Amino acid sequence: MKLELQKGSRSKILAAMVLGIMAVFVVRLFYLQIIQHGYYVNIAKSEHQRRLDIPAKRGLIYALDGQTPVPLVMNQQIYTVFADPSITTDDGKIIEVIKKVAGGNARDNLESLLNKKESRYQILATKITRTQADMIKKESLSGIGFQEESQRVYPEGSLAAQTLGFVNADGIGQYGIESKLNDELIGTDGMLQSVTDVNDIPLTIGSDNIDIAPVNGKNVVLTIDRNVQSHVEQALADGLKRTGATRGSAIVMDPQTGKIMAMANLPSYNPAKLNQVKNVAVFNNGVVSAPYEPGSDVKTLTMATGIDKGVVSAGDTYNNTDYIQVDDRTITNATLGHTGKITFQYALNWSLNTGFVTVAQRLGDGKEITLGARNTMYDYFYNRFKLGQLTGIEVSGEATGTVIPPNSPDGNAVRYSNMAFGQGLDVTMVQVASAFCSIANGGRYYQPTVLAGEIDAAGNYVENKISTPSNPISKSTADQVREMAHTARNTFFTSVDKPGYYVGGKTGTSQVVKNGVYASDETVATYLGFGGSANTSRYVIMVQVSGDHKELQGARDALPIFTDISNWMLDYLKIQPKG
Amino acid sequence: MSYQRVQSYSSRRQQNWSRNQNTVAYVSAIKLGPVTHTVLIAFMVTILGLIYLTQATRATGYDYEAQKIDNQISQLNTEKSDLEIENARLTALETVKHSSVVATMSKPASTQYANQ
Repeated sequence: MKLELQKGSRSKILAAMVLGIMAVFVVRLFYLQIIQHGYYVNIAKSEHQRRLDIPAKRGLIYALDGQTPVPLVMNQQIYTVFADPSITTDDGKIIEVIKKVAGGNARDNLESLLNKKESRYQILATKITRTQADMIKKESLSGIGFQEESQRVYPEGSLAAQTLGFVNADGIGQYGIESKLNDELIGTDGMLQSVTDVNDIPLTIGSDNIDIAPVNGKNVVLTIDRNVQSHVEQALADGLKRTGATRGSAIVMDPQTGKIMAMANLPSYNPAKLNQVKNVAVFNNGVVSAPYEPGSDVKTLTMATGIDKGVVSAGDTYNNTDYIQVDDRTITNATLGHTGKITFQYALNWSLNTGFVTVAQRLGDGKEITLGARNTMYDYFYNRFKLGQLTGIEVSGEATGTVIPPNSPDGNAVRYSNMAFGQGLDVTMVQVASAFCSIANGGRYYQPTVLAGEIDAAGNYVENKISTPSNPISKSTADQVREMAHTARNTFFTSVDKPGYYVGGKTGTSQVVKNGVYASDETVATYLGFGGSANTSRYVIMVQVSGDHKELQGARDALPIFTDISNWMLDYLKIQPKG
Repeated sequence: MSYQRVQSYSSRRQQNWSRNQNTVAYVSAIKLGPVTHTVLIAFMVTILGLIYLTQATRATGYDYEAQKIDNQISQLNTEKSDLEIENARLTALETVKHSSVVATMSKPASTQYANQ
């Protein structure tokens, strides 16, 4: 008997249903395995594959000790100890061990933290060292874990704090070198993508493992000499104590290279104890970020302009009446009584404003500070000595300052008469010191720098090349002004310098603008000078002291600090005295 | 019609085989049925699986060794960094200034310079 499915029979219906169900399965499987393939592969990968960032080490910062790099900023692995209170068992022992090992880094309320049994994460101690972490690990405390992180450490404490800056909690450099060179110091994190086991240990199985090594940050060497820096900070602190000033800044430069050997500001801070800083103003590096009216220090630059243009010399004379009229303004000397025919050397010795307004006039028609005279002064001050513009020094927060051009409505004869003796322009100390270096070194302007070089991967110190200088003034001009500054210093301060050396400088006492007018009860005292042998200046030092409602004077308050540093530098640099 | 191979020589002309082909066929006396074939294939697959597992386990073992060595390197690097920091602290200016050696030093009364 032949069996056949009858049309419309139940078997046919069942067959059709099975076929239909199979078709649904096929479509569903096609969707899951073909169309959704990538999605499910990614889910599977996320289950058994891990992607770990390998943090790059932030570059170290070195200073110099003579010619040898010494670390100023280093990295240290530190640990945060945390507990999972829901699984801790022996809380008493945990408290005892943490207090004993972590000491001051342990939280005060350990018992209450461990009593929060509903919590899975409580920090018990922070910033403990590897040795301390190992001691805690040895106790095999259940429910205790460690988080590793890196922090900056400062073996020299607060030395050169404002030059260095610091690194914030996100690992980003703030202020100073840390901020300016953040991209070079930070390096590039590496990556490890791999199949891992349950303990997150990377395994080599798998076809798309990735292992990219981190590129550590650059290890930079500063031109800062730690011995010079330390002495400058001490001399500045002593000076503030002696004078009653509340703020002080100093910079020491090598005029033959533009390298900055020291840059100090007080009050300062310890970058390792940022939480103790109450006034964030201490983070600023006043040497580069605080423009001010420099006062009589600039008379050396005015004199250099006049000599270089051939309109005056040290021995030329003018008639001093203690007053000089410029348009509708009368300019007065701070020191009165040296009237009559006097030389410009004498005017520099006594810092007589009239002498330098006369130089400005002689740059014009001899009677007025004409547009031509103003253009010449602007060319020398702005273009050649680079006052009122960024020097390019490698610390953050550098301020431009202001030198008003002659074509500006404010760039009139009165303005330029003031600029001739250092008022009416805003400049930073690093700008003035760099400009003065060109007087001390025979007429070459070097861009100031704090970067001496770097430590390469092999650990060798590779020095940067010295930048190519410009020539703002002739060697003859520079030598004449250098001699004038030497004479000016030795006219009044003959016994303060070590004998046998060639030291010169200029005082500055400048008025301070407050609320748009010159304050009557506050001045900034500065001293700008050089030292070394008669043939070669080995250093340029600029000192500034100030304080709210303090009337300070360059000769009385800033000069002794210069002298302290200068005499020490002569010994430190092993300069042989003449005679 | 049935065909049976025998271990005997047959002329290729008689067999009408193509030129250059073996003219002798050795036939095993052991007969393997489909079940045996299936078991054998399953056995071979199992063996291959075991070989793979052995190799994979061995590679993973190396991974653990490598991880252990990496950890040691990391720990030694950390120890080296700690020692460098300690060295830097011990040779820092402040430490040197307050050292017992410096406390016994005195300033020279005069300085002589050799002529250059």
